[in-house]
Amino acid sequence: MSNEVKENGVSRRTVLKGAAIGGAGLLGGGTLLSSCGSDEASGPVKFTARTNNETGLKIAQALADAYKAETGIDVTMQGSGDTNAFQDGISQYLQGTPDDAFQWMAGFRTNFRADQGLLVDLSENIANLGDQMPAGFVSGATNPSDGKQYIIPTTWYPWGLHYRKSTMKEIGLDPEGLYNLDDFMKLLEGTKKKGLIGYALGDKGGWEAMGTFSILNVRLNGYKYHIDLLNGRAKWTDQKTIDVFNQFAAMIPYMNDNVLDISWEGMRDLLLQKKCGAILMGSWWANDFKAKSQEDYDDLWIVPFPEINPEFARDTIDAPVDGVCAAANSGNPAGGAAFAEWCGSEAGMLAAQAAGDTSLYANSRLDSSGYDAFNKQKLAVIGEAKNVMNFLDRDCRNDFAGPIVGVQIQNFLKNPKDINKICEETQAAWDALPPLA
Amino acid sequence: MSQSATKIRTRRRRAFTRKDIFTLSLFLGVPTFLHLFWVWIPALATIGLSFTYWNGVHLSDIKWAGLANYNTVFTASPQFYDALLNNAYWLLWFTFIATPLGVLLAYQVDRAIRGHKVYESVYYIPVVLSLAIIGIIWRFMLGPAGLVQVLLGNPGIEDAIPIFGNYSINTYVILSIASWRHIGYIMLLYLAGLKSVDASLREAAVIDGATEWQTFRKIVLPAMAPVNTIIIVITVIESLRAFDLIYILYGTSTGWPILGMLVFVNIYGQAASMLGAAYAVILFLLSIIPIVFYLRTVFKEDIK
Repeated sequence: MSNEVKENGVSRRTVLKGAAIGGAGLLGGGTLLSSCGSDEASGPVKFTARTNNETGLKIAQALADAYKAETGIDVTMQGSGDTNAFQDGISQYLQGTPDDAFQWMAGFRTNFRADQGLLVDLSENIANLGDQMPAGFVSGATNPSDGKQYIIPTTWYPWGLHYRKSTMKEIGLDPEGLYNLDDFMKLLEGTKKKGLIGYALGDKGGWEAMGTFSILNVRLNGYKYHIDLLNGRAKWTDQKTIDVFNQFAAMIPYMNDNVLDISWEGMRDLLLQKKCGAILMGSWWANDFKAKSQEDYDDLWIVPFPEINPEFARDTIDAPVDGVCAAANSGNPAGGAAFAEWCGSEAGMLAAQAAGDTSLYANSRLDSSGYDAFNKQKLAVIGEAKNVMNFLDRDCRNDFAGPIVGVQIQNFLKNPKDINKICEETQAAWDALPPLA
Repeated sequence: MSQSATKIRTRRRRAFTRKDIFTLSLFLGVPTFLHLFWVWIPALATIGLSFTYWNGVHLSDIKWAGLANYNTVFTASPQFYDALLNNAYWLLWFTFIATPLGVLLAYQVDRAIRGHKVYESVYYIPVVLSLAIIGIIWRFMLGPAGLVQVLLGNPGIEDAIPIFGNYSINTYVILSIASWRHIGYIMLLYLAGLKSVDASLREAAVIDGATEWQTFRKIVLPAMAPVNTIIIVITVIESLRAFDLIYILYGTSTGWPILGMLVFVNIYGQAASMLGAAYAVILFLLSIIPIVFYLRTVFKEDIK
């Protein structure tokens, strides 16, 4: 059976850590600044931002404007509308008349479409970026089936426990020093006693709770087991997998009642409105806190999910890489590729930063000493981990992640007593998958 | 005699001038062609594709799968039976609750009860909205921080009563929302039919001393046979093709699975595979068998 997602030979982790933490130090002298890509790239570019969020669109428009100011090339930016719908329709979109460049996600979602010939090979553009692009991101963007890159990494973010410092202070708890499961359960109990939601979760979109599942799995069973499980080398019916669901179930009493009614936006709003203690999510929405007020943003903090099994401590984290791809079937693929490259360059990232983007950047020229306290903490959270994951739905086949794992986690949240049945069904569904074409 | 017969025959033959034949073939041919091209060819292609493995991008990647997709649907799909059940609920609800209510309303409005003009408008308004819009409206009303939640005294996200994600009530909520439109639709169709029933028939029944119920059962219902057929077919089709409302309420996470949604997710989504085609064929068979069966019995009676 060839239904395994091929993994990168290079470990992302070692290189990423060096790049992220000591990024500025890596700056060698004498490298030519390659601000713009291939020579044939000209003509107006159409760019789709993978967001329907006001802040995200503002940042994307700022990128388009800055590119126009620098190169004189017009960029027409449009939002993707509902992001889940955009993600679902991506194969069809890329076979139709797509925009030249679009924001996308590294990992299986890119590599699979690259194998189908729907994306422009950006290896040359990555090479143009030279030492600006840290090696860890290059390896993270590399398609294992042909060793080429089809996405220009721009930003990444850790999945950690997010909380508001002021809320925790009010209820007299300090998650900063939180290390193991006992500390965590005490925190949940403490927040619940104060009448707040201990661990806010939403799973309306069917993917949000994958983050909780993944982190519990790597904490209990380690990184290798998790990746093996997602790629069919470990069994869903294994007691180890069942234990993950049991641990998940133990947290349900501390969650909101309407998990299946709210999406990640609901989780963010619960935190923003000081209605909950902690949420486990990626930090991409920190932009929205900043857009609300600097005070809210300064109040936001992140710590790694606690240790459960000392054997694996806190050695793994989800830290997905986002970036820009160029569509092969577009009107101006070369222009799209050049724009994608520019988005990954220092100039592009500075433009996004100026527009209020609080993400961590995949560029070594960007001095991390200029990061604010929250971003430094994000780096520290990633820095503690030895293994970096791309998030469940980018780490395994799309026809397994969404329609099976996502659905089964929802089924589990509907009826947490059904764990054994859910695990059996999931294994049966994996076994029935056709070979990956 | 024979002369006149020939005359008729020739006249008939002459009735189709060249222009007539041209017009007729245009009027029959174009729709037939479009129908074949847009409906039957894709339908047959889908049936073919359901026996293959394919991700929908390059035709060269297609592989013969035999019955494997059907096997997966029946034995290894975490949602197939839930979806079947939800479609069945939908059909039962529409057949026994929504459609009869629509008929009842039409009958009352037709009797010109007091304020019937108001009722007619009120019940008809949702029909001008598509189910997608209806989904958006009700999602706003019932979702966290929605109007209904605020009126119930739960304005915050944290204390919003779970509705669409609450599996002990969401089936009823969804079906009520769908009925909101369906009732008006049926009412309108039936009302149009009732207007065409000869008023003297009912007057005669009243003079003969028939009760209201007897008049309805023995006079109105039989006189409305063609409309009844349409209504039954519409009810079955609406129940099985249900999709837009669920897509708006749940997206592709299929929180409340129905067959239409499974077709979409598995043939269109990131997870495109011909599993979706297999679901589509199953849905197709489920829809067409009862309809063909029903239409056959009805037309048989007509021919008699």
